Amino acid sequence: MANITINQAEKRFGNGFHALKGVNAEIASGSFTVVLGPSGAGKSTLLRLVNGLETPTQGHVALAGEAVTPANLRTVRGDVGMVFQHFNLVDRLSVMTNVLVGRLKTRSWLGSVLYLFKREDMDIAHEALDRVGLVEKSWERADRLSGGQQQRVGIARALAQRPRVILADEPVASLDPVTSEEIMQLLREICRRDGITLLVNLHQVDLAKRFADRIIGLNAGNVVFDGAPEQLDRATLASIYHREGVVHDEQLESVLAYA
Amino acid sequence: MTNRTPLPRKPFNPTPVWLSAWIAVLWLIVVDLDISFQALAWGLADIGEYFGRYGDPDFSDLSRYLKLLAQTIATAIWGTFFALVVAFALAPFAARNLTTGPRAYRIAREILSFMRAMPDLLLALIFVAAMGLGPLPGSLALGVHTAGFLGKFFAESLERVDPGVIEAVRAVGGDHTQVVMYAGWPSILREALGYTLYIMDRNVRMAAVLGLVGAGGIGLALHDTLRLFKYDESAALIAVILATLLAFDYLSTWLRGKLQ
Amino acid sequence: MTSSLNLCWPTRNGVPPAAALVTVALVFGLLLWAAPRAEIDFVRLAGSIPAMIEFVGRLLVMPDWDYLPELGVKMLETIEMTFLATSIALVLSLPFGFLAAKNTSPHPAVFHASRSALSFMRALPELVWALVFVSAVGLGPLPGVMALAFVTVGFMGKFFAESIEVVDRRPVEGVAAHGAGWLQLRTFAHLPQVMPDFIGTTLYILDHNLRAAAILGLVGAGGIGYDMVMAMRLFDYDRLLPIALSIYLVVTLLDRASDRLRRKVI
Repeated sequence: MANITINQAEKRFGNGFHALKGVNAEIASGSFTVVLGPSGAGKSTLLRLVNGLETPTQGHVALAGEAVTPANLRTVRGDVGMVFQHFNLVDRLSVMTNVLVGRLKTRSWLGSVLYLFKREDMDIAHEALDRVGLVEKSWERADRLSGGQQQRVGIARALAQRPRVILADEPVASLDPVTSEEIMQLLREICRRDGITLLVNLHQVDLAKRFADRIIGLNAGNVVFDGAPEQLDRATLASIYHREGVVHDEQLESVLAYA
Repeated sequence: MTNRTPLPRKPFNPTPVWLSAWIAVLWLIVVDLDISFQALAWGLADIGEYFGRYGDPDFSDLSRYLKLLAQTIATAIWGTFFALVVAFALAPFAARNLTTGPRAYRIAREILSFMRAMPDLLLALIFVAAMGLGPLPGSLALGVHTAGFLGKFFAESLERVDPGVIEAVRAVGGDHTQVVMYAGWPSILREALGYTLYIMDRNVRMAAVLGLVGAGGIGLALHDTLRLFKYDESAALIAVILATLLAFDYLSTWLRGKLQ
Repeated sequence: MTSSLNLCWPTRNGVPPAAALVTVALVFGLLLWAAPRAEIDFVRLAGSIPAMIEFVGRLLVMPDWDYLPELGVKMLETIEMTFLATSIALVLSLPFGFLAAKNTSPHPAVFHASRSALSFMRALPELVWALVFVSAVGLGPLPGVMALAFVTVGFMGKFFAESIEVVDRRPVEGVAAHGAGWLQLRTFAHLPQVMPDFIGTTLYILDHNLRAAAILGLVGAGGIGYDMVMAMRLFDYDRLLPIALSIYLVVTLLDRASDRLRRKVI
């Protein structure tokens, strides 16, 4: 539905941390792209540039050919769903209300203050909950759900936006392996059936290899690999997870042996 | 045994210094305020006899007291409501994580701190001078003063809201109001209710003395009976006030306990 | 009605949950009950806005410079009263706190008696006690300090008792295992643990007492309040503004200082 263009994006934070050092990527519409890399490599920052939660210090990001600027931030964010590692649901609200948060872009000021929603929005939220298989939990409080269920509510919230792109920032990092598998399959299925572009941060190499159309490897703010999962061999993995200043990294060796 | 490492030098313990400084300051204050212990001792001997005069409360005017009491509580209720409205509007701007910009943050903080700093009795004096006697200026004064407290409490609670939840509502394209309504208030609902109950409790106590400046309630009646040395009626008034405030104290403690 | 508007609440049947409806109805009912009794009249409120503006305008006159030294003295008196009353209350409420905490009280009867005494002490506002004490010992800062200290013991004792009740049991048991006595247990096991809480409470009370001391003069119990009322009654507007500003300044300074200190301690 929408391609993402990342052009020479650089991000330096106020504290001097250089998170991204000029990243270029063209992400095809309707593709499933996984970003791999060690902690602190800039994966989160890269994702957050796409919906304007961070602004690049240099370069720019465009969505379907339109640059993301402070002026069109709300429209861009309305088009981009986001799924988080810690789900980030509002604990005290019902599952339904949490999913309806995805429809906020259509609500007036007064409607938002009174928690009133349109019937169409209710239908969209219902449908989204159906997609993630949680309709029967609609009226339960979000914090009563298990981790995997909460993440599915998070995905339903993104779906309710009727997005063109979904960004998922470590969506399975807080879940057990079986639930992780379920969530990844759900994301994959959404990409396939709805043609939504998915950009997913992961730190599990095996999940990335099995689910991605394409893998981008980041290390210390630079793209060190960009290609199909089959091209990901031991040498490229070593370059992705390479640690600064460590010449012979035994831990890395043993991790790669099982990757 | 001989070559064990010697203990490092004992760190200097400043407590005695602080303690003696504290006592010295208190002594200076006692001298400056002209508090004579002789008078105090004499007063204490007398005070037993003095409180004996309150031994025979006269409840003959009870219906008038109850009416004044109802006015006191009504003043507190509206004062709390005014405070709640103002705090609800200002607190999101005074919370660092939800404010719209550094300027809005500063302004909201300063308004709240100004409202807190103005004693409610001074405000009541001013409002009575401007709009005449009665409980209305009283509830207004309570509202302005406690809006400062409630706004500060709310803002501090809002600052503890999970940043991820705020980010999630921002990420769906929510504007400032929506972030506040869907990530802010629902997350702190319980705490906010607890604070409101606490402020309500406090306002009932204050409303009981607002009458001293002509702002309605039971306080003026007590002031008058005490000035005219009508100890029987004073005792009855104090008993009525005491019973009400104790009841409110228990009620709000119980309700806050329920909220947790 | 909601269906014709095509709007609904995010609940099973589209109407707000019963708990919310009941709460709103209750609050609305209370406000309605209270409105005539508190003489709430928005017309009068709106009508008094010009008077308010005029009043504020009258406040903005050249301050009475000759009054400033006296203002300083009165302000100092207010601060001294606050400090003295809080110190007295602190010393008295420490033992009270241990007697009124469930886990350190020597006997349930003592616990209930001290809890009730504390409730009684804090139930009435300082001003009521100040009225009573003024008529007992005469005008001046003494009845003010007495009233402040009296009420403060009620609050502080309760807060202290509550922080003692949530103390971690393990260090206490550790000290008890070494054969410590009743008083030793309290000074060596309980006190260190609740110290940060106590300091926070004391700062909060100090703050509260300064505000209270500023108005005690209203009933002749010392401090800046007396000058405030007199300026108001005699229409000395050139004094009222400096008085209000100095209260604002001192209260805000203490407020910020204690905020900073609290953050450091806790």
